[in-house]
Amino acid sequence: MSTFEFLLQGLMSAAQPMNLLYALIGVTLGTAVGVLPGIGPALTVALLLPVTYRLDPTGSLIMFAGIYYGGMYGGSTTSILLNTPGESASIVTALEGNKMARNGRGGPALATAAIGSFVAGLIATLLLAFIAPYIVRLALVFGPREYFALMVLAFVTVSSAFGDSTLRGLTSLFIGLSFSIVGIDQLTGQNRLSFGIPDLLDGIEVTTMAVAMFAIGETLFIAAQGDKGPDKVEAVKGSVWMNAQDWARSWKAWLRGTAIGFPIGAMPAGGAEIGTFLSYATEKRLTKHPEEFGNGAIEGVAGPEAANNASAAGTLVPLLTLGLPTTATAAIMLAGFQQYGLQPGPLLFATNPQLVWGLIASLLIANLMLLVLNLPLVGLWVKLLTIPKPWLYAGILLFATLGTIGANPSVFELGMLLTFGLLGYVMRVFGYPIAPVVVGLILGPLAEQQLRRALAISQGDVTVLFTSPIAAVLLVLAALALVVPLILRARGRGEVLSQMAASED
Amino acid sequence: MSLDNNKTTAEQRRPDRAALAIAAVLVAIAAVIFVDVSRLKGMAGYSQVGPATIPDWIGFALIGLAIWTVVAAFRRDFPEREKQELGPVVWIVAGLAAQMLLLRLAGFSIATGVLFGLTAAGFGKRKLWITIPVGIVLCLVIWLIFAGMLQLSLPAGPLERLFW
Amino acid sequence: MKHFFLASLLTGALALPAAAADYTIMAPAAPGGGWDQTARSLQTALQQEKISNNVQVINVPGAGGTIGIAQFASQQKGNPNALMVGGYVMVGAILTNNSPVTLKDVTPIARLTGEYEAIVVPASSDIKTIGDLVAKLKENPGAVSWGGGSAGGTDHILVGLLAKAAGVDPTKINYIAFSGGGEALAAILGAQVTAGVSSYGEFESQVKAGTLRLLAISSDAKVEGIDAPTLKESGFDVVLQNWRMVAAAPGLTDEQKATVLADVEKLATSKTWQETLKTKGWADTYLAGPAFEEQLAKDVSATEAVLKDIGLVK
Repeated sequence: MSTFEFLLQGLMSAAQPMNLLYALIGVTLGTAVGVLPGIGPALTVALLLPVTYRLDPTGSLIMFAGIYYGGMYGGSTTSILLNTPGESASIVTALEGNKMARNGRGGPALATAAIGSFVAGLIATLLLAFIAPYIVRLALVFGPREYFALMVLAFVTVSSAFGDSTLRGLTSLFIGLSFSIVGIDQLTGQNRLSFGIPDLLDGIEVTTMAVAMFAIGETLFIAAQGDKGPDKVEAVKGSVWMNAQDWARSWKAWLRGTAIGFPIGAMPAGGAEIGTFLSYATEKRLTKHPEEFGNGAIEGVAGPEAANNASAAGTLVPLLTLGLPTTATAAIMLAGFQQYGLQPGPLLFATNPQLVWGLIASLLIANLMLLVLNLPLVGLWVKLLTIPKPWLYAGILLFATLGTIGANPSVFELGMLLTFGLLGYVMRVFGYPIAPVVVGLILGPLAEQQLRRALAISQGDVTVLFTSPIAAVLLVLAALALVVPLILRARGRGEVLSQMAASED
Repeated sequence: MSLDNNKTTAEQRRPDRAALAIAAVLVAIAAVIFVDVSRLKGMAGYSQVGPATIPDWIGFALIGLAIWTVVAAFRRDFPEREKQELGPVVWIVAGLAAQMLLLRLAGFSIATGVLFGLTAAGFGKRKLWITIPVGIVLCLVIWLIFAGMLQLSLPAGPLERLFW
Repeated sequence: MKHFFLASLLTGALALPAAAADYTIMAPAAPGGGWDQTARSLQTALQQEKISNNVQVINVPGAGGTIGIAQFASQQKGNPNALMVGGYVMVGAILTNNSPVTLKDVTPIARLTGEYEAIVVPASSDIKTIGDLVAKLKENPGAVSWGGGSAGGTDHILVGLLAKAAGVDPTKINYIAFSGGGEALAAILGAQVTAGVSSYGEFESQVKAGTLRLLAISSDAKVEGIDAPTLKESGFDVVLQNWRMVAAAPGLTDEQKATVLADVEKLATSKTWQETLKTKGWADTYLAGPAFEEQLAKDVSATEAVLKDIGLVK
């Protein structure tokens, strides 16, 4: 049978009413657990996997796909509405999405996230079906030095995209980097900055930090405004749906996000966050409405959400073609596949075509189901914001701590939540941007480890970092991203300065 | 730290004291890093870049940023700060602290219910005898769903044991 | 998954009243990992085989299980209903993290399953046998980069043991730690490192597809279906098994310990458990009682010695 026939056959069996129902149950359960901040798709799938054991292989595969997509999308909903990123890949979504929600544009934000996820999931799943074997060959060319170059590129593009003050942006980034050193050094097994506290040996959990800085820090900041702020957020300003302009601004961002997210997800050490960071930076560069970034720009939600979903499908490329679980989620999925007798690996497409295509068809159906479930709910979700402040924020803190406790019921973790919450508050008071802290925490260890691995393999020869063609190209791109804006700024300086002078009244 | 925002001419010439404090904190972080990783020197192995190298770079960058912050403080480059009301912050922090301390003893629902009530108090709803019970009931429902049915390990206390 | 989700739904979120031995199993890791899966499989099997009516799993993640074991030893002392899952990784983690609580502070009951370590090279490599690889290592230890899991973990320990057995200074090995099996495997497949070390299961499908060459395996005797010599056969006296076990709380009476042991024994021989092992692809390396305790003591002292040799433990 040809690829197409397999896919059609898979789709037909997945589209039976009973299987659609399983997909719906999966998506609902996945969303329910996935909305908890700090509980990402990996944990969601791990917790709910046993639910699927009782079904027949097709049914359980499809419910599983539903849980997976539901778990991913759940994080975005809370990021947008409550500023509590459910997982590291939806941190960027919170940046613009929550601002939109506060301006009464939560509806379009949720919609562009849902539709963008769908579009990206659709394209990426089809890419997975047809070009996975070629992509994976490319991904294997990436060794430590190429990853290091990629991290350098990510640092440069991302740090230039956050905040209006270079000093405060860099300070935030380096605070994040300082936190990133905490814990056991992966390459030598030595403790750093853990001061003999066992709970610190594994380092600082990114989601704990993100939830604390975003949700708790923000709650404290708003509480400290006293009665000055409005008592209620105006939930819907204009239409609850996306208007023509929203569509026009979203679709390109979806496609760009997909183009960035899919290959990065396919790389064994890429990671979904990096795709979302790069997508955000790209959208900020390309937008025609730069003034909206930081105040709720729809591209800043559409792009990263698409990148997040595309990279999730991307991680399936090494998983299905090589049996490589490259993320925690993929590792859990591997465990899940074994339950269905799927043994992912280089021979999978040849030995088990029905199941593989059944899985791909299930992913497509689950993706669609997610859209079906979530679009009608958008109107309901944004109503959440009309809850009076005391109850709303009490609820936000309840949810924020619930996720942390569920992932690790430890008093110490709650202590970190409180400490970082206070830090987030103080940083807000003094005008420091929050996102670079989390970016530093995520990218710092990756960059350090890849650098040290590359140098260990070369036995200390620094030139290897530049002699690989891919690494060289990435580093040149990074250099351009750093230098070009400086030149542009220098040339346009007179203009900008006069503008600034004019705006200062 | 000065949180006032009424800038008088006299104050404008004085350095921003809060910014100076921030610079001091950055130097302190750098110092902690330097001291802690000093014991890891000479472990570089084949890469020549050991566990202490990158932390040292970060430490130097922090000191550089601290100097920059001091300069900015003297030039008063920092944005104006709005007046902060500390009362609500204290309520919420107390809530989080109470949850942390009560979690093991009283279980998820009671601990988180207290957090719920104190947070609401921070936002002006001071009727704790209403908000805390509402929070506890809400948390109990959540506990039954997530711990009971979905096997999330949320600590159980006396209240949860009544139901499970 | 009987008393699990669906059943809970049907009974309206009310569990059956507890009768005989209720167990609480601690998985000293986050949900989803190997120890968590072991704990949850135990939960299912214990309930399905009616060995226990009500089994709870709690997760205490962190630091290679050392946070979990510390909490278990202090909070469950003398509690005959508390179990903990653990494994060989814990042995190394306790040593490298300088954990004040060790496996001596709990009551090991039985080894349940285990995996052997394998040494591979990419198919394109000019290294054909383990002898070739060791010859290269002797010539220039720095030029042989080993890709594997975290520093001080099972993979690293195996390389240290092999170097020592081959007469190479273990501090001189160029071990490149990767996070997670997938990343290490990608680096090996992409020929970024000279050789790779991991549990055999991680490499199995690649070896069968011919993209990796299996040089040796760390079992004590040849394993059926695995076409490679053991390290022992190749002249290096190294045997290593990455096992998982179940332990009980400290301070149990002999009677209590015997009850737990009997329950675990019943479980290990049960149909449900055997099926679980099969579907999960876990080898049955069941070992209980004094034989296990003896093996454990041997593992601990060998591991301590090699970690000192590598220079990770002072």
